[in-house]
Amino acid sequence: MIPELGYGAAIVALVLALWGAVTAALGARTGRPALLLSAQHAALAVFVLVTACFALLTYAFLTFDFSVRYVATNTNLGTPFYYRITGVWGALEGSIILWTWMLGLYTLIVILRHREGARELYPWVLTVMLGVLAFFLLVITVAAPPFARQAPVPADGRGLNPLLEDTGMITHPVALYLGFTGLTVPFAFAMAALITGRVGDAWITLTRRWTIIAWYFLSLGLLIGGWWSYHVLGWGGYWAWDPVENAAFMPWLTATAFLHSVMIQERRRMLKLWNISLVILTFSLTLFGTFLTRSGVIASVHAFTQGTIGAFFLSFLALVLLTALGLLAVRWDALHAQGELDSIVSRESAFLLNNVLFVAATFTVFFGTVFPLLSEAARGVKVSVGAPFFNQVNVPLFLALIFLMGVGPLIAWRRASFDNLRRNFLWPVLVGVAAAAFFFSLGVRSAIAVLVLALTVFVASTITVDFARASRARVRLGEPLLPAMGGLLRRHNRRYGGFGVHLGILIIAVGVTGSQAWSVQTETTLRRGEYAELAGYRVRFEDLTASEESNHFKVAGAFTVSNGRGLGVLRPAKKFYPQETSPIAYVDYRLGLREDIYLVLGDFARDGSQATVKFQVNRLVSWIWIGGLVLTAGAVLAILPEKKKAA
Amino acid sequence: MSRRAWRWLIPLSALPVLALLAYGFRVNPREIPSPLVGRPAPGFALTTFDGAPLTLEAQRGKVVVVNFWASWCYPACYEEAPVLERSWRAYRDRGVVVVGVDIQDKAEAAQKFIRDFGLSFPNAPDPTGKVSVDFGTYGVPETFFIDRRGRIRAKHVGALTDEVLRTRVEPLLGEPAG
Amino acid sequence: MRKTKFITGGAVIAAALAYMIYAGVTQSAVYFVTPAELRASAVAGKAYRLGGMVLPGSVTWEPRTLALHFTLGDGTATVPVRHKGTPPDLFGEGRGAVVEGTWSADGYFRASLILAKHSEEYKAPHDASQAGYKELIRTLQGDGR
Repeated sequence: MIPELGYGAAIVALVLALWGAVTAALGARTGRPALLLSAQHAALAVFVLVTACFALLTYAFLTFDFSVRYVATNTNLGTPFYYRITGVWGALEGSIILWTWMLGLYTLIVILRHREGARELYPWVLTVMLGVLAFFLLVITVAAPPFARQAPVPADGRGLNPLLEDTGMITHPVALYLGFTGLTVPFAFAMAALITGRVGDAWITLTRRWTIIAWYFLSLGLLIGGWWSYHVLGWGGYWAWDPVENAAFMPWLTATAFLHSVMIQERRRMLKLWNISLVILTFSLTLFGTFLTRSGVIASVHAFTQGTIGAFFLSFLALVLLTALGLLAVRWDALHAQGELDSIVSRESAFLLNNVLFVAATFTVFFGTVFPLLSEAARGVKVSVGAPFFNQVNVPLFLALIFLMGVGPLIAWRRASFDNLRRNFLWPVLVGVAAAAFFFSLGVRSAIAVLVLALTVFVASTITVDFARASRARVRLGEPLLPAMGGLLRRHNRRYGGFGVHLGILIIAVGVTGSQAWSVQTETTLRRGEYAELAGYRVRFEDLTASEESNHFKVAGAFTVSNGRGLGVLRPAKKFYPQETSPIAYVDYRLGLREDIYLVLGDFARDGSQATVKFQVNRLVSWIWIGGLVLTAGAVLAILPEKKKAA
Repeated sequence: MSRRAWRWLIPLSALPVLALLAYGFRVNPREIPSPLVGRPAPGFALTTFDGAPLTLEAQRGKVVVVNFWASWCYPACYEEAPVLERSWRAYRDRGVVVVGVDIQDKAEAAQKFIRDFGLSFPNAPDPTGKVSVDFGTYGVPETFFIDRRGRIRAKHVGALTDEVLRTRVEPLLGEPAG
Repeated sequence: MRKTKFITGGAVIAAALAYMIYAGVTQSAVYFVTPAELRASAVAGKAYRLGGMVLPGSVTWEPRTLALHFTLGDGTATVPVRHKGTPPDLFGEGRGAVVEGTWSADGYFRASLILAKHSEEYKAPHDASQAGYKELIRTLQGDGR
């Protein structure tokens, strides 16, 4: 009964979404407000229906309704309550429902925020949003129905993939999807701009906040994914250039480029064509990412199952690309007229270079990801490129980008005079060079590490110079220091929010560099009482214990850790789930500002007399998560509403 | 070409990428080879759930599809049971025999499975597990395709589809039994 | 003309990128091979990704030296593989495995990495009473001390 209701709700939602898209388009063409109103009501109804779908599916999960195939595949009688809720989006069909629900939510917010403001663009924005909603509803009803029945009904389900029984795995898809679906909004506005021919600045100004919010969630999703990989998967890393990771990273790169290039269009009315192309590319990459994850095209360690769904996504991607680019070609003349760059030494130029580098990085990641396909198509040989390729090509690009982070915000528009350059950059450059010498003298020999650290100091100095100068100006006008600083942050929140985000990225960069350059590891087999030593730490194997949990058996090793003084006991374990062919590793670790101690239990003797343990000392990894927090603060500051100056 | 026409290259430029992705669709990265392929199939002598004897020897001359399953194997065995039944009905008059071997299962659960899916091909339990070990099965479902001369020609891991069955069985039908 | 300056600048960047990608690919390209293909044309020192079935009975694991030796086969040919380190959780006899490494002139494949192969549709032989696990717990809790 419940599944049929859910399926029916999805079908009705699909019809309404199509209806809404058509009436919104008609409303745009004819200008009749009644049509637009009808479309808005349809959108509201779609959201309610999708929410109902979601709720019904969750209910099926909670009540162990194994007659629903999706429920039987993703839970069993032993699954804990909490994971029965979060498992709803743990696999393909449910994740599409989550995606669709978020799209519906964003559509509603777009309606509430923009129905008064953007008269010309708004109807078409609604059309596009409802059109995309209709596609995903089509996927739900046809390609990947979550309510498909299973007859005969199995007595017990299969169970959730144990790797998903983790808080990181709960929040990671949510954040990531909020980012992906959020990027639909700028795309919709760009389409509206192309359709109406109003390719000026209106669509950019309206979508600025949307882009930042979507970008932020995407960043958050990537960071949480890294965190999950680090503390669950047991290989001690947080990023592997896996095709699925790359699929989420590419839209992030282009979205970041877009965030910067819009500033050029706002200020100098340039790069209109470039911006629209970037938005189209970003949205296409989100679709591509979904296609990649769900079609089995690229063999990945964690790809979802395949089926007709890949064909659906590829077709929709083709439709979107060809339509959007076709519209672009139609409006070419209006877009093409743009101002000229006055000088290479200017802020426009720095931002343009920033964009070129981001697009270059995107291309690199894309190329590396589809390379196996390319080589097979071209030469019939299966070749892949692994992490070394991506690191080798991307690191120089990222280094240049870090450098630009320091240059861009301070260099003058149009043409930077020598005086301007000296005033803004002399001091930071000197400090940066001094920092390089300092780190070198400390014993840092890796060229990349020195560069990253020196550039970080350089960029931090430029931010300090800017902030100090502006605060001093206010203080000179009579304001006390702290209120002056606070006032600055609030009044120019876009700028300082951006600085905050940059600082967060810098901290992440330092964390990544540190962990790549200076982490060490060892693997040994220890008998009871024996210990291993690494980087000043001593790890002693005490014993093995076993226990029975609600849906798995657990074997844990107790290891005492000390570095002169005792640091406690770590208990890495292996969890045996009956429905899984092999055990799942449970990592134990001690996080620190400077380094993490990280233990993975490998093989062990059945009588508990010895155990093989992989022992890592990972340096500066915590900086990555801290950088994420700083990034969050910066993003929040940046999206605050503009404060009008008090009289 | 006039300047106005150049612009249409932009949408057209998307086509090669889409074509590449569509190509990737056809490439299937999931083959697991088996050392038994090409070797004579291990013989077995079982008793079906109905009490009839079931030996591989007796099937010589026909194309044999040996499917290892269990009632607790969800969702794959549930997905492929109708496929096997359909194929059995379609091919039985053309010299194909479908044989189900139920491993590590309880008799009532297995019989319920057979009843629920209306399976009419011979199904036998493997109580000692010897047959599954001889065939080197690691899990369920696994299906072996044996030609008319008794050699294993293919192994499929995971749920069968009509497509897979057809592509595996048809070539073997064309071969002589001698 | 300003425009040509930017076009040349763009061309330079594109060329530099193309070169970096080319260098990156040639240095880190990893070739997928089956045991038969490897036997036919193994080049010592070249990076391969070898996929095959772990032959039952071929696995030896020495915990004290972390030496893991096994044989990968594909029904046509076999390749002995050596790896230092605990086998990953998804590794086992009679299962598919993909290893990354180089061919050693001494006649074996030196694997630096064993890649997991996770199959969603597959289920291991089920011990309905879970006696195996309970036994494991008993031995660990009981006489192990």
